Amino acid sequence: MNLFQEFSKGIVRENPLFRLVLGMCPALAITTSVNNALGMGVAFTSVLIASNIVISALRKLIPDSIRIPCYIVIIASFVTVTEMVMHAYLPDLFESLGIFIPLIVVNCIILGRAEAFANKNSIIPSFVDGIGMGIGYTLALTIVATIREVLGAGTFLGYPVMSASAQSALIMILPPGAFLTLGCTLAFINMMQNRKAKKSSDFKVRITEQQVAQPFSSN
Amino acid sequence: MREMILIIISAVLINNIVLSQFLGVCPFLGVSKKLSSAIGMGAAVIFVLTLSSLITWVVQIFVLDKLGIGYLQTIAFILVIAALVQFVEMVMKKNTPDLYKALGVYLPLITTNCAVLGVAIINIQKSYTFMQTLANSIGNGIGFTLALIIFAGIRERLEEADVPMSLNGLPIALITAALMSISFLGFTGLL
Amino acid sequence: MRNILKLGLFLCIVAGIAGLSISYVNGITYPIIQEQIEKEKLASFQEVYPGTGEVKDESNTYLGGNSDSILTEVNVVYQENNPVGVIYMAEPVGYSGVIQLLVGMDIAKKEITAIKVLSQTETPGLGTNAQKSFFTDRYKGKSAESVLEVVTKEPVGDNQILAITSATITSKAVTEGVNAARQHFLDNFIE
Repeated sequence: MNLFQEFSKGIVRENPLFRLVLGMCPALAITTSVNNALGMGVAFTSVLIASNIVISALRKLIPDSIRIPCYIVIIASFVTVTEMVMHAYLPDLFESLGIFIPLIVVNCIILGRAEAFANKNSIIPSFVDGIGMGIGYTLALTIVATIREVLGAGTFLGYPVMSASAQSALIMILPPGAFLTLGCTLAFINMMQNRKAKKSSDFKVRITEQQVAQPFSSN
Repeated sequence: MREMILIIISAVLINNIVLSQFLGVCPFLGVSKKLSSAIGMGAAVIFVLTLSSLITWVVQIFVLDKLGIGYLQTIAFILVIAALVQFVEMVMKKNTPDLYKALGVYLPLITTNCAVLGVAIINIQKSYTFMQTLANSIGNGIGFTLALIIFAGIRERLEEADVPMSLNGLPIALITAALMSISFLGFTGLL
Repeated sequence: MRNILKLGLFLCIVAGIAGLSISYVNGITYPIIQEQIEKEKLASFQEVYPGTGEVKDESNTYLGGNSDSILTEVNVVYQENNPVGVIYMAEPVGYSGVIQLLVGMDIAKKEITAIKVLSQTETPGLGTNAQKSFFTDRYKGKSAESVLEVVTKEPVGDNQILAITSATITSKAVTEGVNAARQHFLDNFIE
């Protein structure tokens, strides 16, 4: 297996948030500022990498019939450790992410990767898969948060980016703004996808036309 | 009593679990295509949410806090919820097959529903008493069901609407949820 | 049957290892977290009562049994065993939830030294402005002897506080908390 492919698939082709549409709750709740999004992304990525490694290392040891409870225990332990470390060293971030740190446990992406990937692959590919998926998710959170923070508060990472006279659209950092931003972002991605699909199908038609035409022209 | 009613109203309308706290968004988007399944899911969530909140409250107060291992909260709660869902499924299958037929398919989905774990943790964080926990979890269950049923009603109509191709499916559902969320914003300041 | 026992045992071992490793990490992080909380508390005390002295939590003496009050903590600042200031924690209800704030009082000057909003769940961009210094500074140096009132136009009296634009309810809630602290201060610390 090509390791680079394992890495890059999580970022674009199988982006957990934009393509697989998993892990919606934190993507809606904590994307009020880019700072929170990055913090959540780092916490999430570290849990994902750690659980991927441990689960793939233990994959031959864990009996098949109780694998899900075992995965949950392993994931929950890493989440708890992450929570404690954040509480001790990054208290402000811990405060603003609040309940969504323990809720990483029920984030479907992590259990999903354990079941679909770490369970079947050796340690190094699982590690790379974890990094790729984690970065992909962090990137997606950051994109949503950037749109919301710039439009809603007129700042980026806390620094003002809009002119002082511009009235910021408060709704974007209120709950409705979360649904609206994610909906529009997904629609935009769909649109790009459709356009690309259309282009390549146009291209295909042209090729087949040429191929059909060729026998006549060569003759 | 008055306090309990206030907690319920606040959980259902003001701080709606889905539309303003963003817990349980996955089933909210996943099981809202048909009104009938939305009702089934809602009923299952009310039941499991209330039961699991009460049990996790007891576990926290009488086991974790007594032993001084409050830091094992996340791991203990998720195991309690997973075991409870399995147990409820078994009991339902044996004793009330009709109910099982109606709700059974939704039960396994609930284990990974962050609303259940979320409400359990919030109850402890806000240091609610047993009765307040009861009120808060019933309120949140009703709030989830209310949002889900309204949303499913709208989505059934959307099926027949002519939606632009890029917006079709999830994007339009999210934008619909945004409009619902705006209307629920009207309830803030009610208390 | 034997199989179930074996699986159960395996699960127990996994959970046991998990529990042990978590408690190991907890042993490292717990003191740091406690220290952090303590430091933060002292820092916010310093912010609302800039003078030096020894702070003692005397909530039990002053608030014992009175759970109706929105005051939740009374900390007295001593200098050479003489009380010189009081720091109150109050929890009034704002627009969408409880607002937690600290109010500092100076006994000699009979005035408010400063206030600080510790936590709130108000509307982002409107009510959340209550945390900012442009609003909290409006309470600085106000006399403890007259009831503070919220006005929406430029204040004329010394006891008037200009509300935050579009967040009158939040401003009123903060003022309610300050007034409760002020009244308690007058009744207990001023002869």
